[in-house]
Amino acid sequence: MTGFILRRLAQTVVVIALLSFFCYFLMTLMPGDPIDEMVAANPNMTAEDAQRLRELHGLDQPTYKRYWSWVTMIAGGDLGYSRTYRVPVSEILGRSLLNTSLLAGTALVLSLLVAVPLGVWAALRKGSRVDYFVNLFAFAGISVPSFWIAIVLILVFAVYIPIFPAGGTSSIDFGMTPGEAIIDRARHLVLPVLSLSFLSIGTFVRYTRAAMIDALSNDYIRTARAKGLSWERVLVVHGFRNALIPLITIVTLSFSTLFSGAIITETVFAYDGVGRLVFLSIQRNDFNVAMVAFMISVSWVLLMNFAADLLYGLADPRITYS
Amino acid sequence: MSSAKPRSRTPTRAAWRLGLAIVALLVLAMLYGLASPGLSGHGELPTNRSLRIGITQEFESLNPLIAQMSATFYLYNMVNRTLVTVDENTEFKTQLAVQMPTLENGLARFVEIDGVRKLEADWEILPGATWGDGVPVTCRDLELSWEVAQSPHVSIASVELYREVERIQIDPENPKRCTFLYREPKRLFNRQFQFYLLPAHLERPVFEKYGDQPEGYEKHTLYTTDPTNPGLYHGPYRIREVKLGSHVAFERNPTFYGEPPHIDRIVVVLIPNTGTLEANLRSGSIDMVSTLGMSFDQALAFARRVEAEGLPFNVNFRPSMMYEHIDLDLDEPVLQDVRVRRALVHAIDRQRLTDALFEGEQPPALHFVSPADRWYTEDSEKLVIYEPSRRRAASLLEEAGWTLRDDGFRYDAEGNRLRLRLSTTAGNKMREIVLVYLQDQWRAIGIDARIQNEPARSFFGQATRKRLFDGAAMYAWTQSPEFSPRSTLHSADIPAEENGWSGQNSPGWANPRVDRLIDELEAEFDADRRLEVIHEIMWHYTSDVPVIPLYYRSNTSVTPANMTGYRLTATQVSATDHVERWSLEPVQAPPPRETRP
Repeated sequence: MTGFILRRLAQTVVVIALLSFFCYFLMTLMPGDPIDEMVAANPNMTAEDAQRLRELHGLDQPTYKRYWSWVTMIAGGDLGYSRTYRVPVSEILGRSLLNTSLLAGTALVLSLLVAVPLGVWAALRKGSRVDYFVNLFAFAGISVPSFWIAIVLILVFAVYIPIFPAGGTSSIDFGMTPGEAIIDRARHLVLPVLSLSFLSIGTFVRYTRAAMIDALSNDYIRTARAKGLSWERVLVVHGFRNALIPLITIVTLSFSTLFSGAIITETVFAYDGVGRLVFLSIQRNDFNVAMVAFMISVSWVLLMNFAADLLYGLADPRITYS
Repeated sequence: MSSAKPRSRTPTRAAWRLGLAIVALLVLAMLYGLASPGLSGHGELPTNRSLRIGITQEFESLNPLIAQMSATFYLYNMVNRTLVTVDENTEFKTQLAVQMPTLENGLARFVEIDGVRKLEADWEILPGATWGDGVPVTCRDLELSWEVAQSPHVSIASVELYREVERIQIDPENPKRCTFLYREPKRLFNRQFQFYLLPAHLERPVFEKYGDQPEGYEKHTLYTTDPTNPGLYHGPYRIREVKLGSHVAFERNPTFYGEPPHIDRIVVVLIPNTGTLEANLRSGSIDMVSTLGMSFDQALAFARRVEAEGLPFNVNFRPSMMYEHIDLDLDEPVLQDVRVRRALVHAIDRQRLTDALFEGEQPPALHFVSPADRWYTEDSEKLVIYEPSRRRAASLLEEAGWTLRDDGFRYDAEGNRLRLRLSTTAGNKMREIVLVYLQDQWRAIGIDARIQNEPARSFFGQATRKRLFDGAAMYAWTQSPEFSPRSTLHSADIPAEENGWSGQNSPGWANPRVDRLIDELEAEFDADRRLEVIHEIMWHYTSDVPVIPLYYRSNTSVTPANMTGYRLTATQVSATDHVERWSLEPVQAPPPRETRP
C-alpha cells in the first residue's frame, strides 16, 4: 500500500511538471500578449512604451526562458503578480478559491444528500411512476442550461418573491455581528448552491440508479437473500456497497470541476469565485493568475483520481494495491 | 431482473419515506430560516444614508499611475482629483489647481533654454487641499508622480504625458506652488487631466525602497498593500473596504477641501453579467447602474419598461465621444479607388440606421469629432457631406469601372466581382446588426459584402492592430475634447513592424498635408487658427474617406428617480467626478387617506 502511494505521488509530480510546461506553452500560442492589450486600449502608447514594457515583463524572451523564470519564482514561494488586478496573485486567488470551495463544496454535499436516496429509490422502484418521475427530474437537471436555472431562481426568489439576494458573496454592511455575518453569507449561498446543485443532482441520480439496478441484478443478491439476510442488510452491504464504485468515480471527478464548473453560476450571481477569475485572466493574458489556477486545477484532478483509487479498495475488498 | 424488494416490507418503505421527509423538512427549514424579506430592500428608494451602484467591468488596484481599466477610474474619481478636469459640460476647468495657467493670464510663458524654445507654466494647488490624514496636497505629490511614471521599472502604459515635463521646480517658501518646464511648447500643456498625484509623504518611501526592482513599486504601493489608508485619498470620499472582483465601499472624507458630499456611504458592486443588472435593480440589491453597466440595447429596453411599469428609475442617455466607424483597408486593391469609398458612404442612410436601431439616441456621424466637442461642425463648406443616394453611389461605381451584371453584382473589366469583407467583434449584438444593415445597403448597389466577425481578442489583438482585416472593420475610438487626432490619422501612426505595431491609423491613410496640419494643430496656441486647422483636417478626412463614419455612441446609466445633482458625462471623465453633488432626495410620503367616522 505504501509503495503504491509513493509511486502514485511520484507519477503525479511528473505529470504536474509536464502539464505546467504544456499549459504555459499553450498560453503563449494565444494571439497577442498583455502589452498588445494595453496598446489596443491606449492610443497614446508609443512603440518605445510597448518595447519598454515587453522588456520589463520579460515578454521579449523565448518561451522556455519565461517558463523557467516562472518555475523558479513558484519554487521560491512567490505566486507572482497579477497584471489584471495589479496585486500579488496570492492576494486575489486565495480569497476566490475559498469562496468557490464553499460554493461548490456545499452544492456537492447537497447534491449527494438529495441524489443518492433518490437514485436508490428509483432503482428499487424501477419502471414505477416514482422511477419515471425521478428520471424526468434527473433529465431536466442534466439538460436545462445552468444559466437559465440561475436567472429563473433570481427572478423568482429575488425579484417576485424577494426573500434572497439576487447576487453577491455577502452584504456590504460593516455593522454586522459574527452571527449575522454567517447568516448573511449563507443567504447569499442559497440561490447559487441551488443552481449549481440542479445539474449535479440529475447526473448523480442517473449514476446511482444505474449502479444500483446493476448491483441488485447480481446473483449474490439472490444468494444473500436466500441465506436469510434482512433486506436492509442486503441492500446496504451487498447492493449499495457494490454500486459505490461508479459513484466514487463520478463524485471524485466532480471535485475537479470546482474551478471551472462554477464559472457560469459565479458570473450570473456575481459571486466572487475563482472560475470567473480564471476566465478573465485568460482573456486578458494574465499569465501568472491563469498558470497558478491551472496548476491548482491539475493538481486537484490528479489528487482526486488518486483518492478514487484508494476509495475503490475500501469499497471493494477484491481490489488490491500490490 | 427487477429489483426484488417485497411489497410486504412496509417498515422499510416507511423508513425511507420518513428519511426523505426529514431531509426535505431540514432543507425547507434551512431555506425558511435564511429567507428574510426585510433585508433585500425591495421596492424602497435609496436615501442619502447609502447608495449601491452596479458595475459590470472589473477594477484593479487604485494606484492611478498603474491602473488601466475604465472601471478603476470610475472609482478613482470619487477619491482623488487632478489639477484640471473636463466637466459634465465638456469644458476644461480647474479642480485642484487655483487657476489654469495660460499665456494670456501670464502664468505660462515661452522661454529659450540653450537656444531651444520651451514653455514654462506656474501651477498652484488649492490652499485647503489635504490628503485624508491631514497632510497638505503639494507639488511634491506631482513631482513624485512625474518620477514614478518615468521609472524604467514601473509598468506604466503611456509615459508621454509625464515625459513632456522636463523639470518641476517647487517654490521653497510654498510647496503648493511650482513651475513646470515643458520640453516643447504644446497647446495642451494646461489640459492634462490625466496627470495624477501620488501622496509623497506615504508613497515616496515605498518608491525609494522598491523602485529599483522590476515591478517592485507596483507590488508594494500602499494602494495595493493598505488601500484603506486615508492618507492615499484627497477627494470627497475615501475607501472603507476593497475586495477586487467583488466590491468597493466608500465613506465620506471629512478632510475634503470642497463641497461636502450628500451621500454618507457608496458601495460599488461588481455584477459581471449584464443580463442580471435589471433583476438586481428590481430586487433592490443595487440602486443604480453606472455608465459601465448596461449595453445600449439593454438600456433602451429597460427605459421602455421603466415607462410602462412606472418603475422608480431614470434611464439616462448622452451622446459621448465614442466614435463608431468603419476602417477601410487602403491597401486592399478594391478600396484604393476613392470613388469606391465614396460610393460606400453614399449608399448608406445613417440617419435611418440610427433612428431604426437606436431610437434616435445615438446621433449619426459625419466625421471623427463628436458633437460634444466644441470643434464639431456640420458646415458643408468645411466638410464633404455624402447624402444618402443609391443613384449617386451606382454612378461612382460605374465611373470606377464596376459594371452591374444580371446577377445583381458588379464586376470589373477582367470579370472580378466587387467583393468586400466586413468584420467586427463577434458577440457584440448591436454591431452585428449594424453590419447586416450595411451589407444589405451595399448589396443593393451591387457590392458582394460578406460578414466575417472575429472574437474581440483576435479582432483587436491582430486584425485591426496589425492591419489584417482585409476590407472593412467596424469598431469605436474613444476621444477627448479638442485633442489631437495624431494616433489615428498621422501617417507615422500606421501600425507596422518597424514601430512595434503601435498607433491606431489602421486604414493606413497617409496624407502629407494632414500630417503637417496635425503637427501644426499640436503647436498652435491661437484657438481660432486651431479651429481652422482641425476643420481642414476634417475636410481631407471626409474627402479621402479612409474611414466611414457611422454614429457617435451614447453613454447610458440608470439612476434612482429621487437622485439630483447627477449628470451623465460625454467624456471618459465619469460622472463620479462630481459625486459630491449627487443627492438622494427624501420621498414625500403620500397624504393620509380620509377615513369615515
